[in-house]
Amino acid sequence: MKTPLLFCAAVVLLLASAVIAFADIPLPKASPSPVPSKTIKTTLVVAPDLNAWTARLQIPRSSLRQLRASLDNVPGEEALGTTSGSRTGTIVAGLFMFLAVSFGGVWLMRSGHSRNQKAVAAIAMAAALLGATAMITRGNAAPPPGWKWQRLPQNLNGGVPTTGQVEVEIVPEGESIKLIIPMYKATAESKPAE
Amino acid sequence: MERAVDLEPRVWRPASARAQPRAKATTFIAVVLASACLSALVASWLPLQVSVITVFLFAGPHNWFELRYFLMRLPARFGRSRNFFIVAFAGIATLTLGYIALPLLYYANVWSGANWPTAIATWNSLLLIWIAALVWLRGRQRRGRDWSWALPVAFGLTSLNWLNPELFSLAIVYLHPLVALWFLDRHLARNRPEWLQSYRRCLMLLPLLLVGIVWQLGRMPSLADDNGLAWRITQHAGAQLLPGVSSHVLVSVHVFLEMLHYGVWLLALPLIAPLRKSRGKIWDVKTVPLARRRRGFPRLIAAVLGAGLFVVLALWLGFSTNYAATRDIYFTVAIAHVLAEAPFLLRML
Repeated sequence: MKTPLLFCAAVVLLLASAVIAFADIPLPKASPSPVPSKTIKTTLVVAPDLNAWTARLQIPRSSLRQLRASLDNVPGEEALGTTSGSRTGTIVAGLFMFLAVSFGGVWLMRSGHSRNQKAVAAIAMAAALLGATAMITRGNAAPPPGWKWQRLPQNLNGGVPTTGQVEVEIVPEGESIKLIIPMYKATAESKPAE
Repeated sequence: MERAVDLEPRVWRPASARAQPRAKATTFIAVVLASACLSALVASWLPLQVSVITVFLFAGPHNWFELRYFLMRLPARFGRSRNFFIVAFAGIATLTLGYIALPLLYYANVWSGANWPTAIATWNSLLLIWIAALVWLRGRQRRGRDWSWALPVAFGLTSLNWLNPELFSLAIVYLHPLVALWFLDRHLARNRPEWLQSYRRCLMLLPLLLVGIVWQLGRMPSLADDNGLAWRITQHAGAQLLPGVSSHVLVSVHVFLEMLHYGVWLLALPLIAPLRKSRGKIWDVKTVPLARRRRGFPRLIAAVLGAGLFVVLALWLGFSTNYAATRDIYFTVAIAHVLAEAPFLLRML
């Protein structure tokens, strides 16, 4: 009596788990991998020059390499050759951060400091850990990338160069190179009085 | 009565004798302040030109003086420091060869540029772990000192290094010149303790000078790096890694720190510290403990120093014929002296 009951229960459990795990749904058709957008992120310097005869666009070799890789559908990180923000770099950084906290904790406990000193050290370590985590996860993100272009008109009038982030896009239409500068709307206080 | 006897020489010392060290300290401080201010001024005014001239004139000789200094600091018998020196020399050799091999392998197309930051990050990690091992070993030699904190600190720095290895390497470029100031501090503590406090007060001027350079040059346009040499100098100072910062500031700060570095190794340390105890000439091989001891190696030491002089002359010749290429080679090979500073500085702590 007991064995058939267990068998039925097992079958019911299996069917229920199949439903929960969507095991009764066929595999989705393999979709083509998404085509990466032809975009790279770099910095742009707009520099007025009184002695220049014609407008010149200077592209660093590294940016050109990145752009070429983007056109060839090579991942940008690989083309740029940086570990900043890369998966490998983040994993290794996290591993070493784990080691740092582990060894730091062991050192703190084994050291002959007083309880108050240990508490202060533990708080400092926690703060450092949080800070590093914020850096790794980019929790300390800067203002929007277009923010530095706000002073472009004044800088152009004053002959001062302006540096800011720029996204280089390859677009299918058009015949001219186009530069789009973000201009945030002025706040009510900064608007001139009418 | 005993106290009175102890105090007697101090009380009855002639006033001129008491004033002499103070006067010398004042002269020393005046020279330090004048040198620092002049270096900052010149480095801000003509950064590229001064960079070319200082590297040409002082890069080779300061390495020879460092070699001479390290030989003098090398004990005749390692004794309890045997493991420390084994780790030190093994690390210097391995890391130097690795550092030189990286560009060679790159130019030989053994790997693509995509792996370059990973290689740099790995090298930086090895460097940090090596330094941590040296600190730990040095801590074990000294009673009552637990320097095992070096491991978690090294792991934490290694973690930051992997987030942006290029910036970490740039930090080494800027921090290395400051190590010379630390050497001078330790030497003054041993040989001229009466100057130490004044010297440390002078060091407080350093951040002020740096802030002054950044404030003065921060809004200036970047330096024209349209030729290969200028481009190399600005790249070495981190112009590509810090595009938001004027390369004028970066090169000026770097040249200023390098001038301080050269000043310490070529003037301050030879004139103040080592010769005071040994009373020997700079070319006297017998001032080196390894050459002075009974079963020493005077010929080997003389050969090493002679070879060093030959390299200095070769560097000058190279700079004269092809400055840019020689500069590249020099800054790659010179990593050995950067590394060698770590164990010898630790020996003085």
